[in-house]
Amino acid sequence: MKIAVCAKQIPDPANEVTYSNGTIERPEEQVLDDTDRYGIEVALQLKEKFDAEVTIISMGPSGTQKGLQQALQMGADKAVFVDDESLKGANSLMTANVLSELAKSLSADIVIFGTESTDGYSGTVPQQVSRYLDLECISYVKAVEINDNVTLTRQTVEGSEKLNMPEKCVISVTAGGVEPRYPNFKDIMAAKSKPIEQVSISDLTINTTQNLEFIDIETVENSKSGEKIIDEGEAYQEIVNKLKELKVI
Amino acid sequence: MKTLIIGEIINNNLSSGTLEILGKAKSLDLDVQVVTIGSDENPSIGLDLCKQTYLKRQNNSLNLSKAATKISEIIKNEEISLILGSSTYMCRDLISFLSVDLNSSPVSNVIDFDVASGNVSTVNSINGGESLYKTKINSDQALLLIRPKAFDPVEVNFNDDFESIDLDSSDLEVFDIFIEEKSGPQLEDSKVVISAGRGMVDKENLELIETLASKLNAAIGGTRAIVDAGWMPYSQQVGQTGKTVKPDVYIACGISGATQHQVGMKDSKFVIAINKDEEAPIFQLADLGIVGDTLSVIPKLNDNI
Repeated sequence: MKIAVCAKQIPDPANEVTYSNGTIERPEEQVLDDTDRYGIEVALQLKEKFDAEVTIISMGPSGTQKGLQQALQMGADKAVFVDDESLKGANSLMTANVLSELAKSLSADIVIFGTESTDGYSGTVPQQVSRYLDLECISYVKAVEINDNVTLTRQTVEGSEKLNMPEKCVISVTAGGVEPRYPNFKDIMAAKSKPIEQVSISDLTINTTQNLEFIDIETVENSKSGEKIIDEGEAYQEIVNKLKELKVI
Repeated sequence: MKTLIIGEIINNNLSSGTLEILGKAKSLDLDVQVVTIGSDENPSIGLDLCKQTYLKRQNNSLNLSKAATKISEIIKNEEISLILGSSTYMCRDLISFLSVDLNSSPVSNVIDFDVASGNVSTVNSINGGESLYKTKINSDQALLLIRPKAFDPVEVNFNDDFESIDLDSSDLEVFDIFIEEKSGPQLEDSKVVISAGRGMVDKENLELIETLASKLNAAIGGTRAIVDAGWMPYSQQVGQTGKTVKPDVYIACGISGATQHQVGMKDSKFVIAINKDEEAPIFQLADLGIVGDTLSVIPKLNDNI
């Protein structure tokens, strides 16, 4: 079994996101998107049961490759990535086009994603990749049971449903779906010798265009100058008064 | 502009998200039709104001890819230029599939859009609603995923007059379908919402919230953190990946106010926040902020209401 699992390098979420001409500014050092840790965890659980090969696939400015290292530290075998100036500000479809080409080049049976990246948040790439690869997409997986076959539980609008994982498919895993492992010192050292390969965009078939034109970004003033009261035991009374004023009670 | 809205069915009726998008499409005077995907036997989804097509799927098979192929066919046959869907699980899957078929990248998190001289422009919510990102779409077809509560729902009369098409099953068999029980006021429609966060410390303390909710006839919500921790079902999650609510009064109990959460509640009319941490971001959204322990404030509220 060959598994490709997507890992996006993003600016450290502790810092404020900044934009330049509509595109997120990316520092040299980016970190692994926490959202992807869930997908990687599922890939590693499958690897343990079925002796699969797990390859990280990634697109975007590679910089110091810290995020890729973090993905390898969790236990993936190797990483391939595309980093090309022409992909700067790529829309979700272009991103999916590149990632599906990478998955194809690896002959991946199973391709795994988080549900949406923390920085871009379009939430469409896993499904788009499945369409490019002509595979079914099992989206929003929130639980995985691995026995002789693999049972996936999907989140639905009304509750949940279960499916058996087919031999080939694309999966997206929700945050909180599994408990991502933390690498120990040995894992961190071992990751340093794992192969990371850059794939040239000229080796891939890309037929998407940048159809979304950036116009403007505006900051929304969310903050309210509300009343703030330190509770010294009686602050509940302020709430009661306010609820009366608002005719809730 | 020829427009197709992807409709969704909740409780045998068109979802509020579908009706909101229909409301916006009518206000722009678009040439609109609805294609609704669902598994209900006899839904009342015929519309007096535009054409409705029902793509009926079996709920024991995951066949949304087949639904997308059918919708692609309709889009091509009818020369549709604008495709709209709500940011729900189902529509996200469908619009993503369609974007590959039409070779047009979709726009996510849309909170407003306009059509002028054949061009679609959008306003999208980014960074948890802190900024608005504006785009113009330059492809022949535009695909938009619209956030719930962005528009007012259309007033519409339903009838049984619609074309129904049965979709083929896929090889992916679905089993153990679980439908969460919902009782009490529903999050999306309730005038008062009380939400709980990590500051409630323990799942058992949610009883305090339940008592208060029953006194105020309020719906109960929660943060992603407590839903992930299993304190509440996903259907009660308020935030970017959960529900968007816009009640008259929103009471945030022990919620720090991560941007993920803010997106789902920042348009509430009056926000009351109770949190120990004076610096918690939720206070920036609060009309009334109480800096104190939720676990001591709520019991007093319950005793005095």
